[in-house]
Amino acid sequence: MNAVAQGNRRIAIRLGLVAALMFSFGYVLVPFYDVLCKALGLDQARPEFATATATALRLEFDTNVAAGLPVTIETLDRVVAAKAGGIVKARFRIANTSGEALTIRAIPSFAPVRAAGLLQKLECFCFDALKLAAHETRDVTVVLVVAQTLPEELGAATLSYTLQPA
Amino acid sequence: MTASTETLHLQHADHQAHAGAEGWRRWLCATNHKDIGTLYLWFSFTMFVLGGVMALGIRAELFKPGLQFWQPELFNQLTTLHGIIMVFGAIMPAFTGLANWMLPLMLGAPDMAFARMNNWSFWLLPPAAALLVISLFVPGGAPAGGWTLYPPLSIQAGMGMDLAIFAIHLLGLSSIMGSINIVTTVLNMRAPGMTLLKMPMFAWTSLVTAYLLIAVAPVLAGAVTMLLTDRHFGTNFFKAAGGGDPVLFQHIFWFFGHPEVYIMALPAFGIVSQILPTFSRKPLFGYVSMVYAVCSIAILSFMVWAHHMFAVGLPATAQLFFMFMTMLIAVPTGVKVFNWIATMWEGEMSFETPMLFAIGFVCLFTVGGFSGLVLSIAPIDIQMTDTYYVVAHFHYVLVAGALFSLFGATYYWLPKWSGYMYNERLGKLHFWWSMIWFNVTFFPMHFLGLAGMPRRIPDYPLQFTDFNSVASIGAFCFGLGQLLFLYNVISTIRGGVGKAPAKPWEGAHTLEWEVASPAPHHTWESPPDEALVKKGLRAQSLEHDHE
Repeated sequence: MNAVAQGNRRIAIRLGLVAALMFSFGYVLVPFYDVLCKALGLDQARPEFATATATALRLEFDTNVAAGLPVTIETLDRVVAAKAGGIVKARFRIANTSGEALTIRAIPSFAPVRAAGLLQKLECFCFDALKLAAHETRDVTVVLVVAQTLPEELGAATLSYTLQPA
Repeated sequence: MTASTETLHLQHADHQAHAGAEGWRRWLCATNHKDIGTLYLWFSFTMFVLGGVMALGIRAELFKPGLQFWQPELFNQLTTLHGIIMVFGAIMPAFTGLANWMLPLMLGAPDMAFARMNNWSFWLLPPAAALLVISLFVPGGAPAGGWTLYPPLSIQAGMGMDLAIFAIHLLGLSSIMGSINIVTTVLNMRAPGMTLLKMPMFAWTSLVTAYLLIAVAPVLAGAVTMLLTDRHFGTNFFKAAGGGDPVLFQHIFWFFGHPEVYIMALPAFGIVSQILPTFSRKPLFGYVSMVYAVCSIAILSFMVWAHHMFAVGLPATAQLFFMFMTMLIAVPTGVKVFNWIATMWEGEMSFETPMLFAIGFVCLFTVGGFSGLVLSIAPIDIQMTDTYYVVAHFHYVLVAGALFSLFGATYYWLPKWSGYMYNERLGKLHFWWSMIWFNVTFFPMHFLGLAGMPRRIPDYPLQFTDFNSVASIGAFCFGLGQLLFLYNVISTIRGGVGKAPAKPWEGAHTLEWEVASPAPHHTWESPPDEALVKKGLRAQSLEHDHE
């Protein structure tokens, strides 16, 4: 191997290493952003923000199915205490009772309406059209971020989901 | 004819005696930098046509309000694929192809540093393109959440997204290998006497671009791998339900994405910096400041990514930081534009097609730069995010920027590649046609965006009709005009308007013009002698005699 080829090899190996390092760097960014957000107090959605003494809101989940739709929905966490500044996660079990594949969609609603401003949906099965295979049962979730201050007089809120054919 | 080209001819004849494979095997097993460059260029033109047809599908739908041709699902797939194909399939491979063809010739090297790896870098591209096209036909269709692949849409999408992710892996691998080749060739295979600060500007911009790619292509690969594992293997990087953060994807994506913007712009700067001095018959003004400008743009490009995310709710401090860093990029870019104008100043200018495209580039890229400055202002950007103003902005820098420079490069070096001269009248027609219809297409989009028309919508309110119709007519004319280019290139390869001399442009002084036209299969097998290198450098004012 002549000098040029040797030099080429050396440069290529170094550059290959840089590329491998940069691939890992992408993954390093994940914990890095977490640390950064905590340090700067940017992350509004950390469960530990909701201290034991924080105001709590009684959250109730209600479900309905449109007439004639061969689907059942069960609330796995029927009542939850939502603490100011915390995160609430509620699970539901949807089952297709028919022998055919179905596409359905959940229509959400809030009561009282102003609770909507205090509970932000981070993730909701109501965002997507759900494709259910014949006799499929699936667990779906709603994740809510609770506002940092809750009005004292608002004792409870109800979130309701109605399944409709999509 | 100089002695050196005489020798090259002899070498050429010698090599034909034991030339490699012929026919299709010549291309499949290609290791010659010129063959691989040619493959890259034809591949990228094919992708340009494919992406262009998709763009026309978009513009046809937007000609008037309502849904005429496509359902919204397919429309979204068209916009997404158009973006991915144009960025990764058309523009990036075209620049890599040019670097392959021209760098060894310009630097006096016999070939690229790693000829076999070069073959692999190219042949990863067609399978990647095939995956993207196949994704249109799988259940759920192609990815439809935009070329930026933001979750949650990209996590919810059908299997077309998996094909796109795999395609991006292949494209990234190809780019990284191509870049390693470019950096090694530039750093280690230059002719004697050509120090780094005496290289042609195109070599400089290719070098910096390749460094950028090695740094950020793996980050994109990481981001799409996280998407893939979120989709299928139960990780929760970006899934809010599992504690992930969709905004994190945007941070990682744009850490790749902003340098990517310069990956598509810097080689164009290099091309223009070759063409303008040639047809102004003056050395490039401010060579060293050009090099520093390219390097500072590259470094700054790592510190501005969040200006793509002003609307996600960054804290004011971060907004200010990214806003000021973004504005800072205007300084080195301004230096470059100033130097290009100063190069032309009082030059003996002539207006052959490459020159027209280079001047068109300087004018229109500057317009795109100005709309970029407008968008860099955080409070204005929050208003403009995801409107047609952004669409207008990036088409000014990518079409009138990257694409025009590629047209200019093709006309400039086509005589060297093919050995024949192209039809100048047709070339000029192609330029003026593209110039006019490009502006008819994209200028109204500024107004549409200011008036509030969102991007990526198949239908729109009635008040946007007129400007959309104008843009659609412009797009179809612009698209059809590219057939002129194809015709001109093919007829040049078949003989054109006559044989090209070794140096068809008397104002050109770089080394590629010292070999015969067409460039023989093997060139610079023994490096050019120092006197020849110095002669060219003196003509470019890069070498001064010290008495």
